[in-house]
Amino acid sequence: MSGGAVQSRPADGGARAASLALALSAIAGLACTIAWGATGGLFWPMWVWLGLATALALLASRGRFAHAAPGPQRRLALHAEVTAVLAANVLLAWLFGGAGAFWPIWVWLGLGVALALHALLVYRDEPPRERQLAERVAVLTRTRRGALDVQAAELRRIERDLHDGAQARLVALSMQLGRAEARVDDRPEVAALLRDARAEASAAIAELRDLARGIAPPVLADRGVAAAVEALAQRSSAQVTVDARLPHRLPPVVETAAYFVVAEALTNVAKHARGASARVTLHEQGGRLRVEVADDGPGGANAAGSGLEGLRARVAALDGALALDSPPGGPTVVRAELPCAS
Amino acid sequence: MRVVIAEDHALLRAGVVALLREQEIEVVAEAEDGEGLLRVVAGHKPDLAIVDVRLPPTFTDEGVRAAIAARERQPGLAVLILSQYVEPVYTAELLRGGKGGVGYLLKERVGDVRGFVEAVRRVADGGTALDREVVAELVQARGAQGDGERLKLLTPRERETLALMAEGRTNAAIARAMVVTPGAVEKHVSNVFAKLDLPASDDDHRRVLAVLAYLRASG
Repeated sequence: MSGGAVQSRPADGGARAASLALALSAIAGLACTIAWGATGGLFWPMWVWLGLATALALLASRGRFAHAAPGPQRRLALHAEVTAVLAANVLLAWLFGGAGAFWPIWVWLGLGVALALHALLVYRDEPPRERQLAERVAVLTRTRRGALDVQAAELRRIERDLHDGAQARLVALSMQLGRAEARVDDRPEVAALLRDARAEASAAIAELRDLARGIAPPVLADRGVAAAVEALAQRSSAQVTVDARLPHRLPPVVETAAYFVVAEALTNVAKHARGASARVTLHEQGGRLRVEVADDGPGGANAAGSGLEGLRARVAALDGALALDSPPGGPTVVRAELPCAS
Repeated sequence: MRVVIAEDHALLRAGVVALLREQEIEVVAEAEDGEGLLRVVAGHKPDLAIVDVRLPPTFTDEGVRAAIAARERQPGLAVLILSQYVEPVYTAELLRGGKGGVGYLLKERVGDVRGFVEAVRRVADGGTALDREVVAELVQARGAQGDGERLKLLTPRERETLALMAEGRTNAAIARAMVVTPGAVEKHVSNVFAKLDLPASDDDHRRVLAVLAYLRASG
């Protein structure tokens, strides 16, 4: 392949060859012009100049692409340069020939078709930058979601481990202390020590329980988001109805995000729309979970002022969307949409 | 009293069994999962089943579901749920039907041997034993409801009495816990019933059920 041969030649060697070609062309052109000066007649050396200029331009094009990355893209770029040089060449030839009927258009058409075909071939084989980016985005989305799923699963595992491990051991410890306490009824000072020790164990157990609850309330882990939202509704000071249509459990990361959106929205209802009633809808369709909390309160809620802003990042990380619609006079509707295909 | 226990954690199961035996309460069979509970209940016809919430194979709410199923199969079976956490939804499910013989305690309460054994006997006798955290959840949820304003009519002492009643304690036990005379407790109790507009009853157990029915009512 000529491209490869050009590239393998040292750069200064290429430059020397180009200078030599330029010098030889100038001498040849000059010689023709002198010859014409001696003979006279029609100024024929202009054709020689045109030919030499075209050859030099083509040589320069090839030199310029010598260091570009080899491949179909470089060949196409070279083709485009050659096409441009030839297009200019025929235009000049038409001018030199007396600028009659504009025949170069046909040449241009031919050159253009050839270039277009070449481009078509190149881009059919090679994915364009946009497609590469699209593929990259797809990979990143998948891996980010994978990382979040792993994180959610890890948190649930930690909760389980606390429950079955440290917490259970402390409970066993507390039982043993209690049994010991029951046996030393006749020694009140020992019994008091054991009671204090049991109180310490109970405090540790309570702390672990709060920690586990912060990860996810037990009912969410045990029964899923529909049951957990029912539990929220029962504890809310607002009158809340729940319409949950979820045929199966969703990935933990989606369950947790949906749960905290509903929890936050219901907290806002209780805080800002006293006496209002609310309706929670959970609906999964086509791999998307739609969460909606609507209340008949006075409206005019400000997204920036509510705790929803903090949840937006959580929802966005799942490629979901969170929207607050609260015109003055109400109703206020919080909507979240979460992709949940597992 | 004949007791069966369903608990998958061997250390805890052994602890509870040893503790009950020391208090002369007979544990006739042990199970490790929900299926096992139904089997030992059918086989031993116990008076009381002590059940953990999370059991194999799902480690979710198997215990609650198995306990409810066991009660359906053997009406009159008393059930005491022991859990490491309080979940109001499970409380509501256990209390549904309004029958007695139901308990829901945090596991660490077992360490208070006297209190625990008292609760075990009460539940086996058809009474109620709810953990104070369970009651706190119920009171909080009720207070948040539309007509929960009534709870605000109670004095702090009356609220304390209400909570202790909801735990299933008798007047004598309430008097001990609050360090007051039984007469003072009786006065608090009648005030609570009047302020919440509940049907008064001399029977301890029916009284507890009335309080729980009030706390569980929604809206």
